[in-house]
Amino acid sequence: MTATDATQVSLDLRDIVQEYPQRDGTGTVRVIDGISLHLERPGIVMLLGPSGCGKSTLLHMMGGVRPIGTKTPTQGEVLIDGVPCHGAHDDVVMVFQRYANRPDLSVRENVAFPFRLKCWRERVPKAEAEQRVDAMIDAVGLGGHRNHLPSQLSGGQNQRVALARALVLRPRILLMDEPFGALDAQTRAEMQTLLVQLYEQNPCLIVFVTHDVTEALTLGDRVLVMSTAPAKIADDFAILEPRPRSSAWQRSTEAVRLEERILDQLHAKSSRRGSVTVSI
Amino acid sequence: MSDASSTWNPYAPLAASTARALGVGAVLTVLVLWAVLTGFDLVSPNKLPSPWQVAKAFAYLVWDGENQRSLLWNATIWSLGRVFAAGVLVVAIGIPVGVLMGASTRVNAALSPLVDPFRSAPVVALLPIMVMWFGIGEWMKILFLYAGAVVYLIPLVRDAVRAVPQAYWISARDLGATPWECIRLAVLPLAMPRIADAVIVAVSVMWTYITVAEYVNAREGLGQLIQNARRFSAMDQVFAGIIVIIAFALLSYHLMRWIKGRLYPWETRV
Ligand SMILES: Nc1ncnc2c1ncn2[C@@H]1O[C@H](COP(=O)(O)OP(=O)(O)O)[C@@H](O)[C@H]1O
Ligand SMILES: [Mg+2]
Repeated sequence: MTATDATQVSLDLRDIVQEYPQRDGTGTVRVIDGISLHLERPGIVMLLGPSGCGKSTLLHMMGGVRPIGTKTPTQGEVLIDGVPCHGAHDDVVMVFQRYANRPDLSVRENVAFPFRLKCWRERVPKAEAEQRVDAMIDAVGLGGHRNHLPSQLSGGQNQRVALARALVLRPRILLMDEPFGALDAQTRAEMQTLLVQLYEQNPCLIVFVTHDVTEALTLGDRVLVMSTAPAKIADDFAILEPRPRSSAWQRSTEAVRLEERILDQLHAKSSRRGSVTVSI
Repeated sequence: MSDASSTWNPYAPLAASTARALGVGAVLTVLVLWAVLTGFDLVSPNKLPSPWQVAKAFAYLVWDGENQRSLLWNATIWSLGRVFAAGVLVVAIGIPVGVLMGASTRVNAALSPLVDPFRSAPVVALLPIMVMWFGIGEWMKILFLYAGAVVYLIPLVRDAVRAVPQAYWISARDLGATPWECIRLAVLPLAMPRIADAVIVAVSVMWTYITVAEYVNAREGLGQLIQNARRFSAMDQVFAGIIVIIAFALLSYHLMRWIKGRLYPWETRV
Protein backbone atom coordinates (compact mmCIF):
# COMPACT_ATOMS: atom_id res chain seq x y z
CA MET A 1 0.00 0.00 0.00
CA THR A 2 1.38 3.41 -0.89
CA ALA A 3 1.14 6.47 1.32
CA THR A 4 -1.54 7.88 -0.96
CA ASP A 5 -3.67 4.80 -0.44
CA ALA A 6 -3.35 5.14 3.32
CA THR A 7 -4.96 8.56 3.18
CA GLN A 8 -7.50 7.66 0.55
CA VAL A 9 -10.98 8.14 1.91
CA SER A 10 -14.54 8.39 0.73
CA LEU A 11 -17.49 9.94 2.47
CA ASP A 12 -21.00 9.14 1.33
CA LEU A 13 -24.32 10.52 2.43
CA ARG A 14 -27.29 8.43 1.29
CA ASP A 15 -30.75 10.01 1.27
CA ILE A 16 -30.18 11.90 4.50
CA VAL A 17 -33.34 13.22 6.15
CA GLN A 18 -33.23 15.08 9.43
CA GLU A 19 -36.25 16.05 11.47
CA TYR A 20 -36.11 17.88 14.76
CA PRO A 21 -38.86 18.10 17.35
CA GLN A 22 -40.50 21.53 17.18
CA ARG A 23 -39.63 23.90 20.01
CA ASP A 24 -43.25 24.12 21.21
CA GLY A 25 -43.47 20.32 21.22
CA THR A 26 -46.07 20.11 18.46
CA GLY A 27 -44.68 17.61 16.01
CA THR A 28 -41.46 17.82 14.02
CA VAL A 29 -39.72 20.08 11.52
CA ARG A 30 -37.94 18.64 8.54
CA VAL A 31 -34.59 20.43 8.36
CA ILE A 32 -32.84 18.28 5.79
CA ASP A 33 -34.82 16.65 3.03
CA GLY A 34 -33.08 13.81 1.28
CA ILE A 35 -29.48 14.83 0.66
CA SER A 36 -27.14 12.41 -1.10
CA LEU A 37 -23.48 13.20 -1.63
CA HIS A 38 -20.29 11.49 -2.59
CA LEU A 39 -17.04 13.12 -1.43
CA GLU A 40 -13.50 11.91 -1.99
CA ARG A 41 -10.08 13.06 -1.03
CA PRO A 42 -8.13 15.07 -1.68
CA GLY A 43 -9.95 18.31 -1.68
CA ILE A 44 -11.53 21.18 0.12
CA VAL A 45 -15.31 21.00 -0.12
CA MET A 46 -17.15 24.16 0.84
CA LEU A 47 -20.63 23.80 2.24
CA LEU A 48 -22.41 27.08 1.77
CA GLY A 49 -25.89 28.08 2.80
CA PRO A 50 -27.99 30.65 4.61
CA SER A 51 -27.83 30.69 8.38
CA GLY A 52 -30.09 28.10 10.00
CA CYS A 53 -30.47 25.97 6.89
CA GLY A 54 -28.90 22.87 8.46
CA LYS A 55 -25.21 23.13 7.57
CA SER A 56 -24.03 22.24 11.08
CA THR A 57 -26.56 19.44 11.30
CA LEU A 58 -25.22 17.90 8.11
CA LEU A 59 -21.56 18.43 9.02
CA HIS A 60 -21.98 16.97 12.49
CA MET A 61 -23.42 13.76 11.11
CA MET A 62 -20.44 13.35 8.81
CA GLY A 63 -18.20 13.16 11.88
CA GLY A 64 -20.48 11.18 14.11
CA VAL A 65 -20.92 14.15 16.42
CA ARG A 66 -24.50 13.55 17.41
CA PRO A 67 -26.77 15.97 19.19
CA ILE A 68 -27.80 14.63 22.57
CA GLY A 69 -31.40 13.44 22.68
CA THR A 70 -32.27 13.43 18.95
CA LYS A 71 -31.78 10.59 16.51
CA THR A 72 -29.53 11.69 13.65
CA PRO A 73 -29.99 11.19 10.82
CA THR A 74 -33.71 10.55 11.01
CA GLN A 75 -33.42 8.58 7.78
CA GLY A 76 -30.53 7.67 5.54
CA GLU A 77 -26.99 6.62 6.11
CA VAL A 78 -23.49 8.07 6.44
CA LEU A 79 -20.75 5.85 5.05
CA ILE A 80 -17.04 6.33 5.51
CA ASP A 81 -14.98 4.16 3.13
CA GLY A 82 -18.25 2.42 2.38
CA VAL A 83 -18.79 1.45 6.03
CA PRO A 84 -21.87 2.83 7.84
CA CYS A 85 -20.79 5.28 10.56
CA HIS A 86 -22.92 5.70 13.66
CA GLY A 87 -20.69 7.30 16.30
CA ALA A 88 -17.45 9.26 16.60
CA HIS A 89 -15.02 8.10 13.93
CA ASP A 90 -11.25 7.89 14.37
CA ASP A 91 -10.50 9.29 10.95
CA VAL A 92 -12.77 12.28 11.29
CA VAL A 93 -12.02 15.28 13.48
CA MET A 94 -14.06 18.43 13.84
CA VAL A 95 -13.03 22.04 14.39
CA PHE A 96 -15.80 24.08 15.99
CA GLN A 97 -16.56 27.75 15.51
CA ARG A 98 -16.17 28.41 19.22
CA TYR A 99 -12.93 26.36 19.13
CA ALA A 100 -13.65 24.51 22.42
CA ASN A 101 -10.16 25.17 23.79
CA ARG A 102 -9.78 24.22 27.40
CA PRO A 103 -9.28 27.32 29.56
CA ASP A 104 -7.42 25.32 32.21
CA LEU A 105 -4.80 23.89 29.83
CA SER A 106 -1.85 25.60 28.19
CA VAL A 107 -1.54 25.76 24.41
CA ARG A 108 0.69 22.71 24.43
CA GLU A 109 -1.59 20.74 26.75
CA ASN A 110 -4.57 21.66 24.59
CA VAL A 111 -2.89 20.38 21.46
CA ALA A 112 -1.65 17.25 23.25
CA PHE A 113 -5.04 16.56 24.81
CA PRO A 114 -6.15 13.83 22.36
CA PHE A 115 -3.08 11.78 23.29
CA ARG A 116 -4.30 11.58 26.87
CA LEU A 117 -7.23 9.50 25.64
CA LYS A 118 -6.91 5.75 25.74
CA CYS A 119 -7.75 5.20 22.07
CA TRP A 120 -4.86 7.42 20.92
CA ARG A 121 -2.40 6.33 23.63
CA GLU A 122 -2.77 2.81 22.35
CA ARG A 123 -2.10 3.81 18.77
CA VAL A 124 0.58 6.50 18.99
CA PRO A 125 3.72 5.94 21.08
CA LYS A 126 4.43 8.69 23.60
CA ALA A 127 7.63 9.89 21.94
CA GLU A 128 5.92 10.20 18.58
CA ALA A 129 2.97 11.99 20.13
CA GLU A 130 5.28 14.56 21.77
CA GLN A 131 7.12 15.12 18.54
CA ARG A 132 3.89 15.52 16.54
CA VAL A 133 2.51 18.00 19.07
CA ASP A 134 5.61 20.17 18.98
CA ALA A 135 5.84 20.08 15.20
CA MET A 136 2.17 21.00 14.85
CA ILE A 137 2.42 23.91 17.30
CA ASP A 138 5.28 25.27 15.19
CA ALA A 139 3.35 24.63 11.99
CA VAL A 140 0.41 26.76 13.13
CA GLY A 141 2.81 29.50 14.25
CA LEU A 142 2.32 29.23 18.01
CA GLY A 143 5.90 28.20 18.81
CA GLY A 144 6.28 31.16 21.13
CA HIS A 145 3.03 30.53 22.99
CA ARG A 146 3.42 26.91 24.15
CA ASN A 147 2.86 27.69 27.82
CA HIS A 148 0.21 30.36 27.44
CA LEU A 149 -3.39 29.84 28.45
CA PRO A 150 -6.14 30.27 25.82
CA SER A 151 -7.36 33.36 27.67
CA GLN A 152 -4.01 35.00 26.91
CA LEU A 153 -4.44 34.46 23.16
CA SER A 154 -6.43 36.27 20.49
CA GLY A 155 -9.37 34.69 18.66
CA GLY A 156 -7.22 33.80 15.66
CA GLN A 157 -4.55 32.23 17.86
CA ASN A 158 -7.23 30.23 19.66
CA GLN A 159 -8.49 28.93 16.35
CA ARG A 160 -4.89 27.94 15.53
CA VAL A 161 -4.82 25.88 18.73
CA ALA A 162 -8.05 24.14 17.74
CA LEU A 163 -6.71 23.47 14.26
CA ALA A 164 -3.47 22.05 15.68
CA ARG A 165 -5.39 19.80 18.10
CA ALA A 166 -7.37 18.38 15.19
CA LEU A 167 -4.39 17.95 12.86
CA VAL A 168 -2.05 16.18 15.33
CA LEU A 169 -4.33 13.20 14.86
CA ARG A 170 -3.67 13.27 11.10
CA PRO A 171 -7.34 12.78 10.29
CA ARG A 172 -8.30 11.70 6.81
CA ILE A 173 -11.41 13.85 7.07
CA LEU A 174 -11.34 17.28 8.68
CA LEU A 175 -14.69 18.93 9.35
CA MET A 176 -14.78 22.66 9.99
CA ASP A 177 -17.95 24.39 11.16
CA GLU A 178 -17.65 28.10 10.31
CA PRO A 179 -14.23 28.04 11.99
CA PHE A 180 -13.28 31.59 10.98
CA GLY A 181 -16.76 33.07 11.21
CA ALA A 182 -16.06 35.03 14.38
CA LEU A 183 -12.73 36.48 13.22
CA ASP A 184 -12.09 39.90 11.73
CA ALA A 185 -11.40 40.09 7.98
CA GLN A 186 -7.62 40.44 8.33
CA THR A 187 -7.29 37.50 10.71
CA ARG A 188 -9.67 35.41 8.62
CA ALA A 189 -7.48 35.92 5.55
CA GLU A 190 -4.40 34.85 7.56
CA MET A 191 -6.18 31.75 8.79
CA GLN A 192 -7.30 30.86 5.28
CA THR A 193 -3.70 31.10 4.07
CA LEU A 194 -2.55 28.92 6.97
CA LEU A 195 -5.23 26.32 6.27
CA VAL A 196 -4.21 26.10 2.63
CA GLN A 197 -0.54 25.71 3.63
CA LEU A 198 -1.32 22.93 6.07
CA TYR A 199 -3.56 21.28 3.52
CA GLU A 200 -0.84 21.32 0.85
CA GLN A 201 1.62 19.69 3.30
CA ASN A 202 -0.84 17.00 4.30
CA PRO A 203 -3.80 16.74 1.93
CA CYS A 204 -6.98 15.28 3.36
CA LEU A 205 -10.68 15.67 2.75
CA ILE A 206 -11.80 18.95 4.29
CA VAL A 207 -15.47 19.76 4.54
CA PHE A 208 -15.70 23.43 5.39
CA VAL A 209 -18.98 25.08 6.36
CA THR A 210 -19.30 28.79 5.73
CA HIS A 211 -21.89 31.42 4.95
CA ASP A 212 -19.26 33.66 3.38
CA VAL A 213 -19.24 33.52 -0.44
CA THR A 214 -15.72 34.96 -0.72
CA GLU A 215 -14.39 32.33 1.66
CA ALA A 216 -15.98 29.60 -0.44
CA LEU A 217 -14.32 30.98 -3.59
CA THR A 218 -10.96 31.44 -1.85
CA LEU A 219 -10.68 27.93 -0.47
CA GLY A 220 -12.94 25.52 -2.31
CA ASP A 221 -12.10 22.82 -4.83
CA ARG A 222 -15.79 22.11 -4.84
CA VAL A 223 -18.66 24.26 -3.62
CA LEU A 224 -21.97 22.86 -2.41
CA VAL A 225 -24.78 25.39 -2.02
CA MET A 226 -27.61 24.40 0.27
CA SER A 227 -31.19 25.59 0.05
CA THR A 228 -33.25 26.09 3.12
CA ALA A 229 -36.40 24.91 4.91
CA PRO A 230 -35.97 22.06 4.23
CA ALA A 231 -32.39 21.89 2.96
CA LYS A 232 -31.37 20.23 -0.28
CA ILE A 233 -28.24 20.58 -2.35
CA ALA A 234 -29.19 23.43 -4.66
CA ASP A 235 -25.92 23.82 -6.52
CA ASP A 236 -22.69 21.89 -6.77
CA PHE A 237 -19.70 23.00 -8.85
CA ALA A 238 -15.94 22.70 -8.99
CA ILE A 239 -13.35 25.48 -9.01
CA LEU A 240 -10.26 24.49 -10.95
CA GLU A 241 -8.16 27.59 -10.24
CA PRO A 242 -5.12 26.46 -8.18
CA ARG A 243 -4.57 27.87 -4.71
CA PRO A 244 -3.44 30.31 -3.43
CA ARG A 245 -5.90 32.29 -5.52
CA SER A 246 -4.65 35.72 -6.39
CA SER A 247 -6.74 38.83 -5.93
CA ALA A 248 -6.54 39.20 -9.72
CA TRP A 249 -8.38 35.89 -10.04
CA GLN A 250 -10.88 36.98 -7.37
CA ARG A 251 -11.76 39.89 -9.71
CA SER A 252 -11.74 37.79 -12.90
CA THR A 253 -14.95 37.21 -14.82
CA GLU A 254 -14.86 33.54 -13.79
CA ALA A 255 -14.83 34.38 -10.08
CA VAL A 256 -17.42 37.11 -10.44
CA ARG A 257 -19.70 34.78 -12.39
CA LEU A 258 -19.37 32.10 -9.72
CA GLU A 259 -20.10 34.64 -7.02
CA GLU A 260 -23.25 35.78 -8.83
CA ARG A 261 -24.28 32.17 -9.34
CA ILE A 262 -24.02 31.50 -5.59
CA LEU A 263 -25.74 34.75 -4.60
CA ASP A 264 -28.59 34.08 -7.03
CA GLN A 265 -29.03 30.67 -5.47
CA LEU A 266 -29.01 32.04 -1.92
CA HIS A 267 -31.44 34.84 -2.80
CA ALA A 268 -33.71 32.48 -4.72
CA LYS A 269 -33.99 30.60 -1.47
CA SER A 270 -35.08 33.50 0.65
CA SER A 271 -37.68 34.69 -1.88
CA ARG A 272 -39.04 31.26 -2.82
CA ARG A 273 -38.76 29.31 0.42
CA GLY A 274 -38.98 25.55 0.10
CA SER A 275 -38.77 25.48 -3.68
CA VAL A 276 -35.67 23.77 -4.96
CA THR A 277 -33.76 24.47 -8.10
CA VAL A 278 -30.99 22.04 -8.85
CA SER A 279 -28.41 23.00 -11.41
CA ILE A 280 -25.26 20.99 -11.45
CA MET B 1 -21.47 63.91 38.24
CA SER B 2 -19.73 61.29 36.12
CA ASP B 3 -20.95 57.72 36.28
CA ALA B 4 -17.66 56.43 37.67
CA SER B 5 -17.84 58.52 40.84
CA SER B 6 -21.52 57.92 41.43
CA THR B 7 -22.55 56.00 44.57
CA TRP B 8 -25.41 54.28 42.79
CA ASN B 9 -23.54 52.46 40.10
CA PRO B 10 -22.89 48.74 40.62
CA TYR B 11 -20.12 48.79 37.97
CA ALA B 12 -18.18 51.74 39.33
CA PRO B 13 -14.57 50.84 40.10
CA LEU B 14 -13.57 51.28 43.74
CA ALA B 15 -10.00 51.83 44.89
CA ALA B 16 -8.81 49.20 47.38
CA SER B 17 -7.94 51.95 49.87
CA THR B 18 -11.42 53.46 49.68
CA ALA B 19 -13.01 50.05 50.12
CA ARG B 20 -10.83 49.36 53.17
CA ALA B 21 -11.53 52.77 54.67
CA LEU B 22 -15.30 52.28 54.31
CA GLY B 23 -15.14 48.80 55.86
CA VAL B 24 -12.93 49.77 58.79
CA GLY B 25 -15.04 52.87 59.30
CA ALA B 26 -18.23 50.85 59.59
CA VAL B 27 -16.69 48.42 62.09
CA LEU B 28 -15.31 51.32 64.17
CA THR B 29 -18.73 53.01 64.15
CA VAL B 30 -20.35 49.90 65.56
CA LEU B 31 -17.61 49.60 68.19
CA VAL B 32 -18.08 53.23 69.22
CA LEU B 33 -21.84 52.80 69.35
CA TRP B 34 -21.34 49.68 71.45
CA ALA B 35 -18.94 51.53 73.78
CA VAL B 36 -21.36 54.46 74.15
CA LEU B 37 -24.38 52.24 74.82
CA THR B 38 -22.58 50.29 77.53
CA GLY B 39 -20.33 53.09 78.86
CA PHE B 40 -23.29 55.33 79.69
CA ASP B 41 -25.26 52.39 81.11
CA LEU B 42 -27.93 52.76 78.46
CA VAL B 43 -28.09 48.93 78.30
CA SER B 44 -27.72 46.60 81.24
CA PRO B 45 -24.34 44.77 81.26
CA ASN B 46 -26.25 41.53 81.72
CA LYS B 47 -27.67 42.01 78.24
CA LEU B 48 -24.75 43.65 76.53
CA PRO B 49 -21.31 43.61 78.13
CA SER B 50 -19.03 46.51 77.30
CA PRO B 51 -16.17 46.13 74.81
CA TRP B 52 -13.55 46.30 77.54
CA GLN B 53 -15.36 43.63 79.57
CA VAL B 54 -15.32 41.40 76.52
CA ALA B 55 -11.65 42.19 75.99
CA LYS B 56 -10.93 41.30 79.60
CA ALA B 57 -12.92 38.05 79.27
CA PHE B 58 -10.97 37.32 76.14
CA ALA B 59 -7.68 37.85 77.94
CA TYR B 60 -8.86 35.55 80.73
CA LEU B 61 -9.84 32.88 78.23
CA VAL B 62 -6.50 33.17 76.49
CA TRP B 63 -4.56 32.78 79.71
CA ASP B 64 -6.02 31.99 83.10
CA GLY B 65 -3.04 32.79 85.33
CA GLU B 66 -4.75 31.52 88.49
CA ASN B 67 -5.15 27.99 87.15
CA GLN B 68 -2.18 28.16 84.77
CA ARG B 69 -4.26 27.17 81.74
CA SER B 70 -5.57 28.52 78.46
CA LEU B 71 -9.26 27.72 78.16
CA LEU B 72 -9.40 29.20 74.70
CA TRP B 73 -6.47 27.25 73.30
CA ASN B 74 -7.90 24.00 74.58
CA ALA B 75 -11.41 24.75 73.28
CA THR B 76 -10.10 25.88 69.90
CA ILE B 77 -8.05 22.73 69.37
CA TRP B 78 -11.07 20.56 70.08
CA SER B 79 -13.43 22.52 67.84
CA LEU B 80 -10.90 22.74 65.04
CA GLY B 81 -10.33 19.00 65.33
CA ARG B 82 -14.05 18.31 65.02
CA VAL B 83 -14.50 20.65 62.06
CA PHE B 84 -11.46 19.10 60.41
CA ALA B 85 -12.58 15.50 60.98
CA ALA B 86 -16.10 16.26 59.74
CA GLY B 87 -14.62 18.24 56.81
CA VAL B 88 -12.58 15.23 55.70
CA LEU B 89 -15.74 13.10 55.77
CA VAL B 90 -17.78 15.75 53.95
CA VAL B 91 -15.21 16.06 51.16
CA ALA B 92 -14.50 12.32 50.91
CA ILE B 93 -18.19 11.43 50.58
CA GLY B 94 -19.86 14.60 49.32
CA ILE B 95 -17.62 15.27 46.32
CA PRO B 96 -17.82 11.77 44.79
CA VAL B 97 -21.59 11.63 45.32
CA GLY B 98 -22.07 15.12 43.87
CA VAL B 99 -19.85 14.34 40.89
CA LEU B 100 -21.77 11.13 40.14
CA MET B 101 -25.05 13.04 40.36
CA GLY B 102 -23.71 15.76 38.09
CA ALA B 103 -22.32 13.25 35.63
CA SER B 104 -25.49 11.23 35.21
CA THR B 105 -29.03 12.52 34.96
CA ARG B 106 -30.17 9.05 36.06
CA VAL B 107 -28.11 8.99 39.23
CA ASN B 108 -29.30 12.54 39.89
CA ALA B 109 -32.95 11.63 39.41
CA ALA B 110 -32.54 8.79 41.87
CA LEU B 111 -30.53 10.59 44.54
CA SER B 112 -31.80 14.16 44.45
CA PRO B 113 -35.07 13.37 46.32
CA LEU B 114 -32.87 11.87 49.04
CA VAL B 115 -30.48 14.84 49.24
CA ASP B 116 -32.07 18.09 48.07
CA PRO B 117 -34.92 18.33 50.63
CA PHE B 118 -32.41 18.15 53.48
CA ARG B 119 -30.97 21.51 52.51
CA SER B 120 -34.01 23.08 54.15
CA ALA B 121 -34.34 20.46 56.90
CA PRO B 122 -34.11 21.78 60.48
CA VAL B 123 -30.66 20.36 61.10
CA VAL B 124 -30.77 21.45 64.73
CA ALA B 125 -33.81 19.25 65.25
CA LEU B 126 -31.71 16.34 64.02
CA LEU B 127 -29.51 16.61 67.10
CA PRO B 128 -31.71 14.49 69.43
CA ILE B 129 -31.93 11.85 66.71
CA MET B 130 -28.17 11.86 66.25
CA VAL B 131 -27.80 11.46 70.03
CA MET B 132 -30.20 8.53 69.96
CA TRP B 133 -28.32 6.85 67.14
CA PHE B 134 -24.71 7.64 67.90
CA GLY B 135 -24.72 8.34 71.65
CA ILE B 136 -23.25 11.44 73.22
CA GLY B 137 -19.62 10.83 72.30
CA GLU B 138 -17.28 12.30 69.76
CA TRP B 139 -18.81 10.46 66.78
CA MET B 140 -22.19 12.06 67.36
CA LYS B 141 -20.67 15.56 67.12
CA ILE B 142 -18.61 14.80 64.04
CA LEU B 143 -21.49 13.07 62.27
CA PHE B 144 -23.82 15.95 63.13
CA LEU B 145 -21.41 18.45 61.55
CA TYR B 146 -20.99 16.10 58.62
CA ALA B 147 -24.74 15.75 58.05
CA GLY B 148 -25.30 19.49 58.33
CA ALA B 149 -22.63 20.33 55.76
CA VAL B 150 -22.83 17.44 53.30
CA VAL B 151 -26.43 18.26 52.34
CA TYR B 152 -25.14 21.64 51.17
CA LEU B 153 -22.05 20.29 49.48
CA ILE B 154 -23.63 17.56 47.36
CA PRO B 155 -26.09 19.76 45.41
CA LEU B 156 -23.43 22.44 44.93
CA VAL B 157 -20.94 19.91 43.54
CA ARG B 158 -23.62 18.48 41.28
CA ASP B 159 -24.45 21.95 39.96
CA ALA B 160 -20.74 22.69 39.47
CA VAL B 161 -20.41 19.64 37.23
CA ARG B 162 -23.56 20.46 35.30
CA ALA B 163 -22.48 24.06 34.75
CA VAL B 164 -19.57 22.95 32.54
CA PRO B 165 -20.58 23.84 28.96
CA GLN B 166 -21.56 20.85 26.86
CA ALA B 167 -19.14 21.97 24.12
CA TYR B 168 -16.21 20.44 26.03
CA TRP B 169 -18.01 17.12 26.29
CA ILE B 170 -18.91 17.13 22.59
CA SER B 171 -15.39 18.06 21.55
CA ALA B 172 -13.80 15.36 23.71
CA ARG B 173 -16.25 12.76 22.43
CA ASP B 174 -15.37 13.75 18.88
CA LEU B 175 -11.67 13.19 19.62
CA GLY B 176 -12.49 9.65 20.70
CA ALA B 177 -12.89 9.94 24.46
CA THR B 178 -15.10 7.41 26.22
CA PRO B 179 -17.92 8.93 28.30
CA TRP B 180 -15.96 8.25 31.45
CA GLU B 181 -12.85 9.89 29.97
CA CYS B 182 -14.97 12.91 29.07
CA ILE B 183 -16.04 13.26 32.69
CA ARG B 184 -12.62 12.58 34.18
CA LEU B 185 -10.46 14.52 31.71
CA ALA B 186 -12.76 17.26 30.40
CA VAL B 187 -15.75 17.98 32.62
CA LEU B 188 -14.26 17.45 36.08
CA PRO B 189 -11.16 19.63 35.68
CA LEU B 190 -13.39 22.48 34.50
CA ALA B 191 -15.80 21.97 37.41
CA MET B 192 -13.01 22.06 40.02
CA PRO B 193 -13.06 25.81 40.83
CA ARG B 194 -16.79 25.67 41.56
CA ILE B 195 -16.33 22.46 43.53
CA ALA B 196 -13.70 24.29 45.58
CA ASP B 197 -16.25 27.07 46.19
CA ALA B 198 -18.70 24.40 47.37
CA VAL B 199 -16.15 23.08 49.87
CA ILE B 200 -15.61 26.62 51.16
CA VAL B 201 -19.38 26.99 51.72
CA ALA B 202 -19.52 23.62 53.45
CA VAL B 203 -16.75 24.59 55.87
CA SER B 204 -18.53 27.87 56.65
CA VAL B 205 -21.70 25.89 57.38
CA MET B 206 -19.75 23.66 59.77
CA TRP B 207 -18.48 26.67 61.69
CA THR B 208 -22.05 27.89 62.17
CA TYR B 209 -23.09 24.44 63.46
CA ILE B 210 -20.14 23.92 65.80
CA THR B 211 -21.95 25.42 68.81
CA VAL B 212 -24.95 23.15 68.19
CA ALA B 213 -22.73 20.10 67.77
CA GLU B 214 -21.08 20.85 71.11
CA TYR B 215 -24.40 21.47 72.83
CA VAL B 216 -24.62 17.97 74.25
CA ASN B 217 -22.03 16.67 76.66
CA ALA B 218 -18.96 18.41 75.33
CA ARG B 219 -16.21 18.79 77.87
CA GLU B 220 -14.12 20.89 75.52
CA GLY B 221 -14.75 23.12 72.56
CA LEU B 222 -15.65 26.67 71.63
CA GLY B 223 -19.36 25.86 71.58
CA GLN B 224 -19.10 24.28 75.00
CA LEU B 225 -17.16 27.30 76.24
CA ILE B 226 -20.05 29.54 75.19
CA GLN B 227 -22.59 27.14 76.73
CA ASN B 228 -20.74 27.09 80.00
CA ALA B 229 -20.33 30.85 80.13
CA ARG B 230 -24.03 31.31 79.42
CA ARG B 231 -24.92 28.96 82.24
CA PHE B 232 -22.94 31.18 84.64
CA SER B 233 -24.37 34.31 83.02
CA ALA B 234 -20.89 35.41 81.97
CA MET B 235 -22.10 37.39 78.98
CA ASP B 236 -18.64 38.83 78.37
CA GLN B 237 -17.28 35.32 77.83
CA VAL B 238 -20.21 34.44 75.57
CA PHE B 239 -19.36 37.43 73.37
CA ALA B 240 -15.66 36.61 73.39
CA GLY B 241 -16.43 33.03 72.36
CA ILE B 242 -18.67 34.14 69.51
CA ILE B 243 -16.03 36.54 68.24
CA VAL B 244 -13.40 33.79 68.29
CA ILE B 245 -15.66 31.47 66.25
CA ILE B 246 -16.31 34.22 63.70
CA ALA B 247 -12.59 34.91 63.53
CA PHE B 248 -11.78 31.27 62.82
CA ALA B 249 -14.54 30.99 60.24
CA LEU B 250 -13.18 34.09 58.47
CA LEU B 251 -9.60 32.87 58.72
CA SER B 252 -10.41 29.48 57.23
CA TYR B 253 -12.52 31.15 54.55
CA HIS B 254 -9.69 33.39 53.40
CA LEU B 255 -7.14 30.59 53.67
CA MET B 256 -9.27 28.36 51.46
CA ARG B 257 -9.89 31.18 48.98
CA TRP B 258 -6.16 31.72 48.74
CA ILE B 259 -5.48 28.02 48.22
CA LYS B 260 -8.19 27.89 45.56
CA GLY B 261 -6.61 30.81 43.73
CA ARG B 262 -3.25 29.03 43.74
CA LEU B 263 -4.74 25.73 42.51
CA TYR B 264 -6.86 27.18 39.70
CA PRO B 265 -5.12 30.33 38.48
CA TRP B 266 -6.80 30.00 35.07
CA GLU B 267 -10.26 30.51 36.52
CA THR B 268 -9.97 34.22 37.20
CA ARG B 269 -8.36 34.88 33.84
CA VAL B 270 -11.13 33.36 31.71
N1 LIG C 1 -30.76 19.58 18.49
C1 LIG C 1 -31.72 20.30 17.85
N2 LIG C 1 -33.02 20.23 18.23
C2 LIG C 1 -33.96 20.93 17.57
N3 LIG C 1 -33.73 21.74 16.54
C3 LIG C 1 -32.46 21.87 16.11
C4 LIG C 1 -31.38 21.16 16.74
N4 LIG C 1 -30.23 21.49 16.11
C5 LIG C 1 -30.58 22.35 15.12
N5 LIG C 1 -31.90 22.58 15.11
C6 LIG C 1 -32.62 23.43 14.15
O1 LIG C 1 -32.31 22.99 12.86
C7 LIG C 1 -32.09 24.07 11.99
C8 LIG C 1 -30.72 23.97 11.35
O2 LIG C 1 -29.74 24.17 12.33
P1 LIG C 1 -28.18 24.19 11.99
O3 LIG C 1 -27.81 22.88 11.41
O4 LIG C 1 -27.45 24.58 13.23
O5 LIG C 1 -28.09 25.33 10.89
P2 LIG C 1 -26.82 26.14 10.34
O6 LIG C 1 -25.59 25.51 10.84
O7 LIG C 1 -26.95 26.07 8.87
O8 LIG C 1 -26.96 27.56 10.80
C9 LIG C 1 -32.26 25.34 12.80
O9 LIG C 1 -33.56 25.84 12.53
C10 LIG C 1 -32.15 24.87 14.23
O10 LIG C 1 -32.99 25.63 15.05
MG1 LIG D 1 -24.08 26.30 12.18
